[in-house]
Amino acid sequence: MGDLGAFDQLYREHAGRLFNLAYRMTGTAADAEDLVQEIFLLAHRKIGSFRGESSIGTWLYRLGVNLCLDHLRSRSHKDTRATESLDDNRERGQRLPAMPSNEMTLTRLELERAIAELPESYRSAFVLHDIEGFGHGEIASMLRIAEGTSKSLVYKARMRLRRILTGPATDHRELR
Amino acid sequence: MSCDKFSDSIGALTDGTIGPDAKRALDEHLKTCAACRALAADLGRIRDEAARLPRVEPPDALWAKVRGRLEAQIAAGARPGWREKLAAWVAGPATRPVFGFRLAAVSTAVILVVAIATGYVLIRQRGGQPGAPAAGPATEAKMTAPSGNAADQEFVQSVEMELKLAEDHYEKAIAGLEQIAKVDEGTLDPQVAAALQKNLGIIDQAIRDSRVALQSQPTSQVAQATLFEAFRRKVALLQDTIALVNEMRKGDQAGAARALQNLNRG
Repeated sequence: MGDLGAFDQLYREHAGRLFNLAYRMTGTAADAEDLVQEIFLLAHRKIGSFRGESSIGTWLYRLGVNLCLDHLRSRSHKDTRATESLDDNRERGQRLPAMPSNEMTLTRLELERAIAELPESYRSAFVLHDIEGFGHGEIASMLRIAEGTSKSLVYKARMRLRRILTGPATDHRELR
Repeated sequence: MSCDKFSDSIGALTDGTIGPDAKRALDEHLKTCAACRALAADLGRIRDEAARLPRVEPPDALWAKVRGRLEAQIAAGARPGWREKLAAWVAGPATRPVFGFRLAAVSTAVILVVAIATGYVLIRQRGGQPGAPAAGPATEAKMTAPSGNAADQEFVQSVEMELKLAEDHYEKAIAGLEQIAKVDEGTLDPQVAAALQKNLGIIDQAIRDSRVALQSQPTSQVAQATLFEAFRRKVALLQDTIALVNEMRKGDQAGAARALQNLNRG
């Protein structure tokens, strides 16, 4: 069972971070558990396609992010949208929590709930950059996007979070 | 001054990647713009709080679940074999550090095919008496083969199966090599590439013809010999192509000329 030995090691090295990624992407521990299982099963099936162009960790994260995105897209969440414009300025109907205008309070719970409201593309870039600490180059490789797109997505995600956390009147341009 | 102009700078400030000139200009703007100061502060807080979110650890029992499902997947045969791995390696973009390795893998594949094929021919040419001494990998297999007619038949079938596996492997390696050629089409002179394709086409036709002949006359030694001769020619052609590409990549004109000569001779 040499494969299982190798996967045991891979699991020990990467499962923690992959679980955290899946948890932050989906917002539930149950979904994260399912996704981590799927990530390692998929990695086992696709190990032949790993070409060593990136680290095995980056490759696993790419599989993981894509599985998380597939999961979110297939999930029948009322807030889930299949695609999101990078220049999305639409208002969201549901804001959690209702905060006094122009004043951003930020607790862990509020931030977590706000992250859960982010569109998928924003959320994946934000989770990978601001929570998991990956660089834009690594994120670009994982999501197969340009590095500049990764920067833009993270910036827009932070802007959206701010708007969710403070209310619509706090949008920078609206204040001018 | 428009605040929109400073969006990128505020983003870069939050990321810690802002340059000195942009930082000076932004600082000047922030002195007089409360909205942008608030924005920069809020984005910084969001970044900091996100980095401080506690890491959620997987439950201890999760590995047991993953392991159980991996075992089931392996038992179901879903694991890619070494042939697929080789094909995947070969199919990768031809970057210089791994190129030699991938070519080595292709060479290994074709050498394996020839070795097995040679053993197979020796066995068949001895009238289906695999107990006779033979060279190559078939020898090892033969040493553990059972005796008697039924056992001999079983052994021949085993060799046939090995040959089929090797052929599959060989074909996948060829497919990978063709992908390398596509990626590196600029490396080979178009006329050389065309000549290579033409020769490969001729050999492939010979392989197809031999297989058709073998289907109608499975015991025909002529058809067998023709098939394996076509295999050997294809192996030689590929080895020459590999040598040519390697010499060209090294910038060795004399070596490339020699390799090209061999290729044309093939």
